[in-house]
Amino acid sequence: MNARWRIVLIVAWAVALVSLALLAERRLVVASDLRSFMPPPADADQRLVLDEIGEGPASRLLMLAIGGADEARLAAMARALAEALRRDAHFDRVLDGGADLASLDPTLLPYRYLLSPTLDQHEFDEEFLRHELEQRVEDLGSPVADQLETLLPRDPTLEVLTLAQRWTPAKVPRIRDGAWFSPRGEALLLAQTRAAGFDPAAQAEAIAAAEQAFAALPDRGAAQLSIAGPGYFAVVVGASTRRQAETLSALGTLGFALLLLAAYRSAGVLLVAALPIASGALAGIAAIVLAYGSIHGITLAFGFTLLGVAQEYPIRVFSHRRAGVDAASSVRGVWPLLRLAILSACIAYLTFFASGVPGLHQLALFTVVGLLVAGAATRWLLPVVVPSQPRDVAESALLEALRARLAALPRPVWLPALLLVAGLLMLRLAPAPLWQNDLAALTPVPAALLAREGELREALGAPDVRYLLVLEADSAEGVLATSERVYPQVEKLISAHAVDDVELPSRYLPSLATQRIRQSKLPDRAHLSAALGAALRDLPFQPGLFEPFVDDVETARTLPPLTPEAFERSPFGARLEAMLVERGGRWFGLAALSGVHDPAALAALDAADPGHVRLLDLKTASEALVAQYRTRILAALGVALLLLCLSVALAFRSATRAWHVIAPMSLATLLVLAVLRDFGVSLSLFHLVALTLAAGLGLHYALFFERRSIDAAEARRTLHGTLVCVAAAVFVFGLLAASTVPVLRAIGLTVALGVAFHFCLSVFMAQRSQ
Amino acid sequence: MLAQPASGPPDAAALIAHLARPAPAHTSYTEVRFVHVLRAPLVLHGELEYLGQDHLSKRVDTPYRETSTIADGAVEVAREGRETRRFTLDRAPELKAMLASFGALLGGDIAVLEQVFSIALAQRGADWTLKLTPHDAEVARHLREVDVDGSAGEPRCFTLTEGGGDGSVMLLGGAAAQKLPDPLTPAALATLCGRVQR
Repeated sequence: MNARWRIVLIVAWAVALVSLALLAERRLVVASDLRSFMPPPADADQRLVLDEIGEGPASRLLMLAIGGADEARLAAMARALAEALRRDAHFDRVLDGGADLASLDPTLLPYRYLLSPTLDQHEFDEEFLRHELEQRVEDLGSPVADQLETLLPRDPTLEVLTLAQRWTPAKVPRIRDGAWFSPRGEALLLAQTRAAGFDPAAQAEAIAAAEQAFAALPDRGAAQLSIAGPGYFAVVVGASTRRQAETLSALGTLGFALLLLAAYRSAGVLLVAALPIASGALAGIAAIVLAYGSIHGITLAFGFTLLGVAQEYPIRVFSHRRAGVDAASSVRGVWPLLRLAILSACIAYLTFFASGVPGLHQLALFTVVGLLVAGAATRWLLPVVVPSQPRDVAESALLEALRARLAALPRPVWLPALLLVAGLLMLRLAPAPLWQNDLAALTPVPAALLAREGELREALGAPDVRYLLVLEADSAEGVLATSERVYPQVEKLISAHAVDDVELPSRYLPSLATQRIRQSKLPDRAHLSAALGAALRDLPFQPGLFEPFVDDVETARTLPPLTPEAFERSPFGARLEAMLVERGGRWFGLAALSGVHDPAALAALDAADPGHVRLLDLKTASEALVAQYRTRILAALGVALLLLCLSVALAFRSATRAWHVIAPMSLATLLVLAVLRDFGVSLSLFHLVALTLAAGLGLHYALFFERRSIDAAEARRTLHGTLVCVAAAVFVFGLLAASTVPVLRAIGLTVALGVAFHFCLSVFMAQRSQ
Repeated sequence: MLAQPASGPPDAAALIAHLARPAPAHTSYTEVRFVHVLRAPLVLHGELEYLGQDHLSKRVDTPYRETSTIADGAVEVAREGRETRRFTLDRAPELKAMLASFGALLGGDIAVLEQVFSIALAQRGADWTLKLTPHDAEVARHLREVDVDGSAGEPRCFTLTEGGGDGSVMLLGGAAAQKLPDPLTPAALATLCGRVQR
């Protein structure tokens, strides 16, 4: 085939890939909600944990601070920003110092006597009313008279204010001109995003919206907006991880290109080397878009990592070309081995389908389709487009010297056994816990950001992200009753500073039973009028002023108690609605905690009311979920290994030869694990994925070294191909290992180490049989 | 009685500049509050304190003890043996305007006053009355006008007339010690204050 045709074909292939990429990009929806990558919840408790981690109010809360101007201007900006965000669809709720709770839904006004705890301690008798009315006279002489005057005829005991106070968090920042202020003099706001906290992409949108709203404020001067909160962390950390990954992989690609140039001395080879893997990746994405509609961000990241094995296919083809023989027949020479490697890897990855986790289904589809397409492209398309005048790498004297040196290495039979024992021993002696279940530890938040978060959370009295008090009962009424039962103990914990505030659901709505008791204490019209008349005796109030009060009490006596459904329709109901949830027939009350100082004391609440109250530690609970998830992946990997052995054995029709391939691969994996563990590394999902990729590469090395009946030149070509592959993998992943982001380091270190071990053991164990 | 017409803001500006008190300043007061839910006006005695920059404190000594502090756009009312109550002024623009005017008067800051009120000055000999009328209709609905009566460089009375007919008269300094008229009506108090009508 002449050179011009080749160029045309390469361009056509590249154009096809680019148009496929454009098409995929238009159809591609990258999901980022971590929960869709997790196993479906097994019970009501797990569902609660998943919901709360992702959608709980605490995880959706962004704390906004505006600083850098005088307080009056900051307050004005904070109010304007709050107003703008309230109109923004990204946010559910925006709180600032302007929220005045003194406005109760008018239809609920008569209910104040059932909602307020006043009647628990007092009767509406002469003594109580007199005491209250005397204070009202004083109130009328104070600066707030104007605000109270309109309330007075209907509500002389100011129950509305009692309720407002009850519904105000215990700890409120300093207020100035209707804005909250931090001790540092920054204006503060709380904004609750509509998007789940677990969804970094959606959080990023909300944060961008807040920043735009701030940028649009007039007269900002030097004032600056800073943001903190779980969603913000996810975005910042995600961005810095991505930046580092991009820089390192750009460097990696450059190094890889130079390596190929050095190995094959041909720009043409370099030009086509990436075509198979690019085709595989795009086909994988297209398959997922067709099958699922959207692809998960983690599927993409893990999938590209696992697909890394496909980069070896063209390298094998390039290294095995001989002068004077066309590319197609060179490919035919290595194809049986490549086909075996591809098919066995595909069979292994198919086990992810059995994991029952949606994210892993996608991963399986992506890798299987990707590997098959990359393999097919290598076999049938690559030979057509590679340069026709190859250099036979077998002619290198240096390579021959190296091959002879390697072949002459002593190969004591007992060494693998010794390595096995040593590896197992090292695993046993490893200092750190085996598993790292805290996924956040792999993408740590910078200490300065964490400190800032803590400072704002403290200033705002914002709810704790980690702990939640869960009340459980068989009905909403049961939850409210439980909430009332634990209230006295909770009060004690607050005064003992075990916790700053506990937002119990009964703070907003008492149980029906309590409402009925309060109702029964309300005096009838005759008694109330008599008590009021006596209490008013020499006070200066206008006669008949309190008729509306007497009417309201009379109304309240016959009201049907307020149900959660009815209350949730009122402006304050949104809070209660978020706190009272039903999961699988059970009712849960979720009490937000702020300033948790003594989790053990809170956990001990359970002893007081066994089975109804418990402290939910979202961190522990989510770690348990991760552990469960990992168990499934491990099981899938175990089955994958078995299938791999079986397919290799079937292909070779020899258990001994299969053993020569599987043994070095398994031993190398064990040794990587042992070394990582002895360096104090706890394993995470990312390590498992990296180990799987390394094992896939190791399988190639072992397979190629296990080739039978080859001449010395072919052995040199095999060595050349393997060396290029190993050098490339060690370089690319070694770069990642140098990253400061733990998750990138985990993947890089594991693969680089794995590749080195797999190579050494393959050389050592496979060639021994020759 | 011939009242001299006010000669416009320049004179008012000179007067207001003259009224400025360096912070902290304090004076005793007698306040008479007319509230329509009460049959008789409330009469309070105590001390006012101006701490500068919109920061005011009002102490009631009789007939009960109470301290209200106004600062940073909020009012705090502290009463013996009871929890301190705190209100933000956001929902009470009239109170905010009133406090701003009081602060501006004590600070001698006519620019701030003119942002909120139109100012008219009436003088008769050494006596004068500053009449402040809010520009903003919403504020005016609650606070119809503020009258400040005084003589030479001394303010004597601070009278608030609220939209609903309620109001209060605060007698300051020497005027606080004067005997109150009987019957106690806004008109009788205006006379006592030496109100200068235009």
